[in-house]
Amino acid sequence: MPRKTSGTVIVVGASSGIGQALALRLAHEARPVAILARRLDQLEAVAKDINDKVGATRIYPYEHDVTDIESVDALFKKIEAEHGEVDELHFVAGVMPEVALDEFPTDKDALMVQINTIGSMAWVNAAARRFLPRKAGHIVGVTSVAGDRGRLDRPGYNASKAGQDTHLESIRNRLWRHGIRVTTARPGPVHTPMTEGLDVPMAISAEQAAKTILKARDRGRAIVYVPWKWRLIMFVIRNIPSFLFRKMSV
Amino acid sequence: MSSTMNWRSESVRGWGDSVGGTSEVLRPTDQGQIVDALADSHGPRGVALRGSGCSYGDASINPDGRVIDFTGMNRILDFDAENGIARVEPGVTIRELWCHSIGQGFWPAVVPGTQQVSVGGAASMNIHGKNNYAVGTFGDHIESLRLATPSGELLECSRKENVDIFHAVVSGFGMLGCITELELKLKKVYSGRMRVWGIPTRDLDDNLSMIEDLKDESDYLVGWIDLHAKGKALGRGEMHRAVQFKQGEDPDGESMLSPDRQDVPTTLFGVVPKGWIWPGMWLAHHLGFVPMVNWAKFQAGFGEGWKSPYPQTHGAFHFLLDYVPNWNRAFSPLIQFQPFIPHAEASRVLRRLIEMCHDANLVPYLGVLKRHRVDKFLMTHAVDGFSMAMDFYVGGASRRKAVWELTHRMAEVVLDAGGRFYYAKDATLLESSFERIHGSGAVEQFRALKDRLDPDGVLQTDLSRRLLGSE
Repeated sequence: MPRKTSGTVIVVGASSGIGQALALRLAHEARPVAILARRLDQLEAVAKDINDKVGATRIYPYEHDVTDIESVDALFKKIEAEHGEVDELHFVAGVMPEVALDEFPTDKDALMVQINTIGSMAWVNAAARRFLPRKAGHIVGVTSVAGDRGRLDRPGYNASKAGQDTHLESIRNRLWRHGIRVTTARPGPVHTPMTEGLDVPMAISAEQAAKTILKARDRGRAIVYVPWKWRLIMFVIRNIPSFLFRKMSV
Repeated sequence: MSSTMNWRSESVRGWGDSVGGTSEVLRPTDQGQIVDALADSHGPRGVALRGSGCSYGDASINPDGRVIDFTGMNRILDFDAENGIARVEPGVTIRELWCHSIGQGFWPAVVPGTQQVSVGGAASMNIHGKNNYAVGTFGDHIESLRLATPSGELLECSRKENVDIFHAVVSGFGMLGCITELELKLKKVYSGRMRVWGIPTRDLDDNLSMIEDLKDESDYLVGWIDLHAKGKALGRGEMHRAVQFKQGEDPDGESMLSPDRQDVPTTLFGVVPKGWIWPGMWLAHHLGFVPMVNWAKFQAGFGEGWKSPYPQTHGAFHFLLDYVPNWNRAFSPLIQFQPFIPHAEASRVLRRLIEMCHDANLVPYLGVLKRHRVDKFLMTHAVDGFSMAMDFYVGGASRRKAVWELTHRMAEVVLDAGGRFYYAKDATLLESSFERIHGSGAVEQFRALKDRLDPDGVLQTDLSRRLLGSE
């Protein structure tokens, strides 16, 4: 299916997992792909691996700490100066530290909000500011099924993802009428470094997740569950009354 | 003498089937017959030299005159398997050459898009391959050659002997004498295949910058361009990149160093005989589906990119023009226009040329981009820059006239930018362009050699009369 976007694309959080898998697929789309993450050595290894597969330089690594929201605009500008107008953004960065059931860690919660929510806001806003006057572009935010409900095991993660998800929805409602697409991708469990060592039932591979996300982008979907069966599961979970939900251990 | 020679009246046409006529044709089988034939051909239309007849235009065309067709001189006289040096007659084809050498781990250093060309023709036109930027032209791999001149001499020419003649005969489009023997240096290969990438490219500048980025780490680079794409996508297409395996890198490929493992398949998807493809292409062309076919090919490139890199045999990678037998019938009559543009001007000039085709509503059905480098041959086409081969259908008098006019206008843009042209492809250049291509010094030197080696102007073609004048 022909895409509406063909300019430079930014993937925030691409040194591993879904971001890395997205970068590989995007690199095959005949366009420059700027990949961002905190760990430059890892990012450069990812870039080299993908460029070798493609046969040409399509991936350009940029060191970036998502908590450094002050630097987002300058980096966006730098990427556009070096590789041409950006018309697609994927925000994939996210953290999920271990939290015990009897732990109420404000520091960990703050970090999750800082990266998962505020980091996403900063990049989505930066893209929106540029895409709106151009009346073109596509923003893809990777949230999580965890944002659909406040569950007992990960209060901070659930809240950070819910915040990110709601922000994306608002931005979608602002931009859609101008021809700009905003896709929220809500993956279920995916085998990535973030879920390493955790018990992840029904998990899919990062490659499978990336494929599904890009298919949703091509179709201009607003919300996509990854894989699709999570739409049904989460429909049920979202509709469990609170008095029942608080007694359950899901 | 002529009574003993078997000149036969035949129709002789250029490969694009757009020019040609009836000529008296002789097929000599040894050097003595060539010497006799040159001595015997002092008629007003002289004699043209012709190898396999793969020049698109009029480089081997001589209507109402004579043609020496040297395809009968196709013996491989010697092959030094230690150093990869082949001593051959001029009618040996590239195919015959590699079939002979590949079992011993050698492949011709420069091959064109079809394996049917003769090495004598390849030397005279100084042809190039998809590795011109890295290894130079065909002439750069000729060790020596023997020339029979119309003045009756037999000259050994090389970089040590008759140096000026050597550098003018190679690239001299058959104007200085007939090559009767050549010594060619082939290159060592360790696998019957190469590592190949198909890389979709989004526009012209993506193509150009990708070639610049990759040329130091690629053995072959060639870009297909969808010339129907406009606007932001102008010049989009697909790059094909190949890297040879080093010794021991591809053990499975060693058994493919054999002629029967190299050949392009004779069926498509293992089922459809390829002989059936060109009528389908003819239909697509005449029904106006070419823009759609180009679009589909561009989209298919994404699938090819996803499975890259993949191993591919030398034969399948190089001989795209042989992949579909008789494909030229689908588009004939056709001409090819292949300008060579210096590096700094390439983006601007190539963009302008594509726009001129769109404005004239004469869009080539095929565009091929390559990178070149300078060489020492007197009448060379090569520049430090890019070439874009554009294939035009020229059926019908009005379309033919329009394409000729368009190529004249495009040639002006190319020449203003210091560009050059290539006589194996040309059919439309004007006499006034010749000096602008090569500079007055080179042309003067070439004419002086012509006067010395062919004082009576025996060697003639439609191309030479068109460019050198019929003095």
